[in-house]
Order: sequence, then structure tokens, then C-alpha cells
Amino acid sequence: MESTPTLPIPISYVSGRYLLFSIDAVTYLRREHNICGVLIGTLPQIPQQNVFLGLPLELMPEEARVLVDKDVACIVDEARAHDGMRSLLEEDRRQYLRDLESQGQLATRMLSDRKDQQREQSLKEIDEKKAKGLAAKAAKAAADAQAAASSTSAPTEKEEPNSVFAGEDESSSLSRTTGTSTPAHHQAMGVTPTTSYPPLPHPVSPSAQYLPKPEVPLSYPLFAHLHSRGYFLSPGLRFGCQYVAYPGDPLRFHSHFVVVSAEWDQEMNLMDIVNGGRLGTGVKKGFLLGGPQKRRDEVESEADRIETVRTFSIEWAGM
Amino acid sequence: MASSQQAQSPPLEPSALTRLIASASGNPLAATTIQILHNLQHQHLWTSLEIHDISETSIASDAPPTLISGIPPHRVYTHPDEQLYMLEKGIAEDDLRPERLFVIPTAQGQSWSLRRMAAAFDSLAILELSESEEALSSGESVDPEKAQKLDEYYERKANARETKEWGTRRALLAMTNRGMGGEGTVVYYVVQEGEVKPRQN
Repeated sequence: MESTPTLPIPISYVSGRYLLFSIDAVTYLRREHNICGVLIGTLPQIPQQNVFLGLPLELMPEEARVLVDKDVACIVDEARAHDGMRSLLEEDRRQYLRDLESQGQLATRMLSDRKDQQREQSLKEIDEKKAKGLAAKAAKAAADAQAAASSTSAPTEKEEPNSVFAGEDESSSLSRTTGTSTPAHHQAMGVTPTTSYPPLPHPVSPSAQYLPKPEVPLSYPLFAHLHSRGYFLSPGLRFGCQYVAYPGDPLRFHSHFVVVSAEWDQEMNLMDIVNGGRLGTGVKKGFLLGGPQKRRDEVESEADRIETVRTFSIEWAGM
Repeated sequence: MASSQQAQSPPLEPSALTRLIASASGNPLAATTIQILHNLQHQHLWTSLEIHDISETSIASDAPPTLISGIPPHRVYTHPDEQLYMLEKGIAEDDLRPERLFVIPTAQGQSWSLRRMAAAFDSLAILELSESEEALSSGESVDPEKAQKLDEYYERKANARETKEWGTRRALLAMTNRGMGGEGTVVYYVVQEGEVKPRQN
């Protein structure tokens, strides 16, 4: 589904974290803006089941900042955005619950429709197969009539798999006549919305107040530089670096670089370059060292630093 | 007894390498350059080694004052896309003419920064301009088919240099061990400007 959420996308700011709760926003940002984030949601009652995580998606401050700088997203104070919850009218509340229930019913109906469709499809296939089998059998019987009686064992063997389906077919053809005409009294599915609008108004409105741009670490210019070159960046803890850079979606590509940022005049130990180069080569990646040529106090905004970024790719020479 | 005998014996002659390094004019960085040049020449069998003084061309005062260049016996670096092209066309590495490669000499414990790295690469650009097209003389083509293949390859390579398809300006960063007794190990890392995808080792 190629749905585009209304822009800018509200990023919820909850106790120092940048979170996304809408699956449409998450897929859109990944598809169109190379932002992956990290899924952090567990089942509330079994948080130790944390191999497959779900919504919400947590963004690094750098990711949130890039999106805000591109006017794709804005930062919303989650607590303040929900002040309206208390003043919600009883009538609105009930209306909202009714909406949820009808959504659940819709989902149930869609599911049962799909089931019916699948069943009809498979029944049709069986019918076709049976017709084909009958035709083949008739042809064979004609041929067999001339043949000797010794060949009778073969057709009975062949009939066996058919008869298994035939039994099922009879029962299902019964339900075909009776089942579809009466609407099934399934219980409506329970819908758990991941966002709070509705019932609250959409948090992005002309009158809304947004939080300032996220505070970012000194490595932000390098992050933004690589992001603008089309790289997907993920947190670098796994490889002992600041970011891991993928040339495309991480589900499809191996990463190219372990990325470390430095300020232009930051003294660095040559041993760190040896470490990075060795580590990168050991995991089939390059070690990317880079940074902006300007200090923060030399420019007006962080955006001016991004243009001055220079990077160096380092690999072990093997000699 | 033994110790008194040793005390009487004449002091050990300094090694050839020590004498070579000591011949540097007291500048520790010059000594590093000489040591790495020595390592390239005798351990890695590089030829046509040269030392380039870049202290005048580089803007930053604390950039490394010298670069080394030489011709390695085998290729040190081949970009993955270039390697693919060579495989497709059936070009072996030994068929290609040797290439001059630059080396940035450093020593462990020396202070380093992005500014210094960038300064080294900037002066490298100037040096490469003056050095380009130095060796077009390896024209002992045996077999015309192969010669044509190689010509195509060199044309493609010149093109790739413009588009940076096959990597960007590159140099070896050489680091020699200085502290802890300085046993003289030198390690080499390929450094390229910009984002160049890694080799598939």
C-alpha cells in the first residue's frame, strides 16, 4: 500500500526519546526518506519477549533532526498534545468507541470474505481437476475396454486420492449453499489503535505548537552528509562505531561502512585508525572517518557545517 | 666476572638501520620518513622510491612535511568494480603497467587529525598533477589482441578517474611503531577520499 501520511509527520517526544506510533508514517519514512529507526515495542505484559519488536519506532536525535530540517516531520510534546483527553465530551467518547467497534466488525468481515474467496477458489480448482480426471478416465476406460482385465488394479489406485477430496467436496458444497447466505455471527475483532487521533484532533495543525529542533551530537553533520548521499544509517554500537552505513535498505544490502566522526582539529590517536581499519576489514566493511571543516562556533547553523564535511575511507592494505 | 668482561668489550656497532635513521637531520619526522622508505624498499621491494617535500605546498603548518612515492611489485589496491571489469575482459593484474603509489609516513603516538589527513591529500593532488603520465613506455605489446584490450582498459580507467567510479584519490597511510622499544613494525592502510565502497575480501 503506497500511502502517504499527512505531512509534516508528528514525532512524539516522550521523556527524551523521539518516537513514532503510526505504521503509515514508519513505512513512509523508510520508503521515501531512508530512515529506519529502531523498533522498541514489546507486548506490555511479556516485555522479556524481545526478539521481534513492534511499534513504537524510536528515532535517533540525528534522524529526527534530518526529518525536521527537510520539513517532513515536526516534534510534538506528547504530554501536552494529550491535554485535550480530559476535556473530551462523553458523547465524543461514546462515538469513538462505536467507531472502534465498527472498525472491528469491518476487519472481521474482510477476513471472513477473504476466507470465503480462498475456499471458493480452491473448490473451483478441485472441480476442474475432477472434471479433467473424469475426462481422462473416460478416455482411458475406452482404451482399457480393449485391454485385458489385468489392468483393473491401476484405475482403483488412481481413484483413491480423488475420493478423499470427494468427501470433503460434498460437505463443503453443502456449506456453499447454506453458509454464505446467512451472515456469520463472528465476534468483532478488538482494534487497538496505535495513535490517539481520533479522538483527539490531528496534532499537526496550523495552531499547534511544536518543540524546537532536536539537540544533536557533534557527529550530526557527517550523519546528514551520508544521509543526503542516499545511505541508510543505523546506530553503531554493534560494530563499535558511531553509525553503520548501508548503501540501500538494510533488509536488502550489507553495510558498507563503519562510520566514526571527528571534529576537524580534534586530536586523534593513530591507533584508533588502526583499530577502525582492522575492525572494518575484519567484517568486510570500510572504515569511514569524517567530519565538518567548521566548528560549531564558526557557523550560524548546523546546516552550514554539513556542506563542509570531508570523509576518508580506510581499509587495511594487507601488507 | 662476566659483567666486568662485558664492560671491557667495545660497545656494539649500531645497526645499518639505526645509522640510516640517525643520518636524518635530527628531525623526528624526517627519521620516520627514512624508516618507512627503508621498510618499503627492503621488506616490500618497492622500486623508484622518492621523497617529496610538501612542507611548502601544504597550507596547514602541522601537516606531515614529506610524502613518499614508489612503485610496488604488485598492485596494493584494486577497486571492486575495476576488478569485475578486469575479470570480464580477462585482464590479469600482471599485464598492467606498474603504478606509482603515494605513502603518508606517520609514527605511532604522533598527533593526527582530520585537518592533517586532508592537508596530506590536498598536497597529493598537486603532486599527482605534476607526476601524471610519467610512464607510458611499457609498450612491449606481445599480442595485438591483448594490447587492444589493455588500451580499452586504460581508456576506461581514465574515464573512471573522472567519474570516481573506481575509487578516488588514494594513498597508503604508513604507521611505524615508535614507543615501547620501537621494534620497527610498519603497518599500511589504504586511505581514499570520500565514500568508496569496500573491497570484498
